[in-house]
Parts: sequence; structure tokens; C-alpha cells
Amino acid sequence: MTWLLDFYNYRIVAQYLDRFAEGLRNTLTAAGFSLVLSLLFGTIIALALLSKRSAFHRPAAAYVAFIRATPLLVQIYLVYYGFPALLPFAKSWNDMYFGIAALVLNSTPYMGEIIRAGIESVPRGQIEGAKAVGMDYGQRLRHIVLPQAFANTLPPLLGQTAVLIKDTSLLSIITVFEFTSAGILLNSERVKPNESFLTIALGYLLIYLVILLLSRGVKQWLAGPAWNAQA
Amino acid sequence: MLERYWSITTSLLPFLWKGFLETFYVSLVAIIAGSLIGALIGVVRSQRVPLLTGLFGLYIHVLRGTPFLVQLYVFYFVLPNTGISWLSWDSRTAAFVALSVYTSSYVAEIVKAAIEAVPRGQSEAATALGMSRIQRLWYVVFPQALKLTVPPMSSVYVMIIKSTAILSVVGISELTRQGEVSILRYPRDILFIYGLIAFIYFLYCYPVLRFARWAEHRVGAARTVDLD
Repeated sequence: MTWLLDFYNYRIVAQYLDRFAEGLRNTLTAAGFSLVLSLLFGTIIALALLSKRSAFHRPAAAYVAFIRATPLLVQIYLVYYGFPALLPFAKSWNDMYFGIAALVLNSTPYMGEIIRAGIESVPRGQIEGAKAVGMDYGQRLRHIVLPQAFANTLPPLLGQTAVLIKDTSLLSIITVFEFTSAGILLNSERVKPNESFLTIALGYLLIYLVILLLSRGVKQWLAGPAWNAQA
Repeated sequence: MLERYWSITTSLLPFLWKGFLETFYVSLVAIIAGSLIGALIGVVRSQRVPLLTGLFGLYIHVLRGTPFLVQLYVFYFVLPNTGISWLSWDSRTAAFVALSVYTSSYVAEIVKAAIEAVPRGQSEAATALGMSRIQRLWYVVFPQALKLTVPPMSSVYVMIIKSTAILSVVGISELTRQGEVSILRYPRDILFIYGLIAFIYFLYCYPVLRFARWAEHRVGAARTVDLD
């Protein structure tokens, strides 16, 4: 057993267990809030991108292009230093708020693109049929388009969620105490890189595996109606 | 105000240019090295070689299931700590290797998907002509699959460029790091300097994104973000 303790001393990890738990909790909090908000804003962006009015789709397209062509780390710095300077209400925010704001800003365009592709995947005949029975725009969206689009987009949305959870690791750089920060803390106090970084790598991997299994389950579950209708 | 920003920009530009060259260089090395490793793994995985397919599957899931920042820490802190002499590399080597390995996991999946997207009939017809497995792959499947890899590979290239910013945390003097150093000189203009950095990244990434979209129209849609 000594060779294992030499390479990976799990007793040290056990001492830091509550720190890791705290970090994990913050990671999931940041990811959860960012997921909900970016889905919400992503739907708005998707509708703006699909709009025929250039007053809607041009700003949306410019925003999507800016986010997709710049690194998340730089966006985090821009939010972290920019929000308190530009927005008066952001002065009293703590680091977690800035982190979530940056993640939402970053993942909204990706969610928006997925939702847009999902909406476009609904066959035209469905919308025409809904019009023929006298549904208005809101009814068509609610009863016809969004449910089918949702089924088509669930697997890529889960993939993007996995990306979002991994992206929360960058919040450690603006001193949010999330999962990666717990590893960095252990390494800086004990100088034990194996115990620090292999532990967090394993933690992230487990979260990823859960989402992977979920994604496979969803594909099985949806393999009936929505997917076959497309082909 | 504008004059002040102009003078900051002109005085920082040579310094940021050096950072950009490093960003350009790292991203180029990562996309080339990552493509070579990734293509090899992707081909093996598409052929369902016993043992290797599972092993490479694990490699891909580990790399895609963990954040690049954590991988970078593993390459920078953990591997030199193993006591193996050739792994006790400097930060720059660690960064280059980490980014190339990370890239390879994405390339491998693209290559595998492209090979599997070539209709089976092509391969079967080649078999009927008496071609060996190597001949089938080389003369029939690869030329058709190559085209399909262009749009997703351009997207991966953009992802790599953006990931190089993370290398600043281990002290690689790329664009973001040079920006952080510039802020020490102009602490009051922190926002402007990060804006400038973002703009330089944009100038590098946006043409590649446009190319990816153009290629998608030519070749057909790329795979979206998907876990399998």
C-alpha cells in the first residue's frame, strides 16, 4: 500500500473533503444558475436570429459573433472589471455573481444557436398545419414548434451543459471558490499536486459521465417520434 | 480621452504583437500536432480494432470530460512530479503538450465520424474489386471523408485559439498574459486593455469562423455539440 500512499495520499484528500464539497457545491450552483439563465436568454437570441427584422437579428448576430470569436477568460476579465465600472448596481456584487454573469454572457449564444437549429428542424408543414387550424404565433410556438424543437435539441443542449460545467473551472481565476479552487488550495497548502489535481480531474470526469449517461438515456427515450419524423 | 487611448494603443502594440505571435504559434503547433495524433486515433476507432478502440475511447472521454484548465495543471504540476526524467519539462513544453493532447481528443471524434459518414456501399464496392482494407481506406474512404472534416475542424481550430488564453495562468507570454503585464503599466485602463485584447482575438478567430460557415454550406452541416 505504501506505493499508493506515495503517489496518491488519500488521507490528505480526506482532510480536505469539506473544502472539496464546498467547491463542488459552488461549481454546481454557478453552472445551474448559468444554465437556466442562458437557456432563457438563448431562446430570446434564437428568436431574434430567426426574425426577418434587421433591427432584431443584426444586434443578435453581432453579439453571437463577438462571443464566439473571443476567449472565455478574456470575457470573464471584461465582466469582472467592466461591470463594476459601467453598471452601478454591480458594485456590491460578490465574485460569484460576476462569474455567473460572465458564464451566462458566454453560453447564451451557444444555447441560442442550438435552439435556433432546433426550431428550424421543425418541418414547415407542421407550422402550415397549425396556421390552417387557426392558431396564432404564440399558440404555434407553444403547442407546435417548441415541443418538437425541444425534442430535437435536448442531446446537444446536454452536450453544451457539459461544456458549461467545465467552463466554471475558469472562475477559479477570479477567486470564486469552486471545485478547481479547492484543488489549488490543497496544492498551495500542502504542495501535493497529485492529490490536488487528480482529485478534481476525477470529480469533473464523474460529473461528465453522469451527463453522458443522461444524454444516452435521452436519445433512447426520444428515438421514437421526434427523431424518426425528421428523416 | 481618445488621444490618451490612441497613445496607449500605439505604445502597447509592439508588446501585444509579441503576445499575438506566441498565441499564433501555440495554436498552430497544437492544431498540427493534435491533428496528427487525433487522425491516428480516429482511424483506429473507426475500424473497431479490439482493445485499442476501448482504450482510445477512454482517452477521449477523459480529455473531453475534464476542463482544459485542470488538464493544464496536471501537465504542469503532476507529470513533472512523477519522477520520470523526461516528464520534468518547463512550463512552455507542458503548455504545448497539454494543448496538443486536448486538441487530439476533438480531432479523433471528427475523423471517426467523417469515416463513418462515407456510405458503406463505397467500401463494399472496393471490396468487390478486390482491394485490401488499407487500399479501401486510402483510395476510397479517406478522400471522401477528408472533405467532411473541413467544417468541424475549422470550429475546433477556433476553440484551440480561444483555449490558448488559458495558458496565461502558467505564465506563457501569449496575448492574454501580455495584456495582464500591460495593465501593470496602465492600471487605470484595465478595461480598455482587455477590450483591445478581445478585439485582437476577434480579428484572428472571426475569419476562421466565417470560413467554417462557408465550408458548412459547401459540405453540409457539421456535427453540433454532442457527447457521443
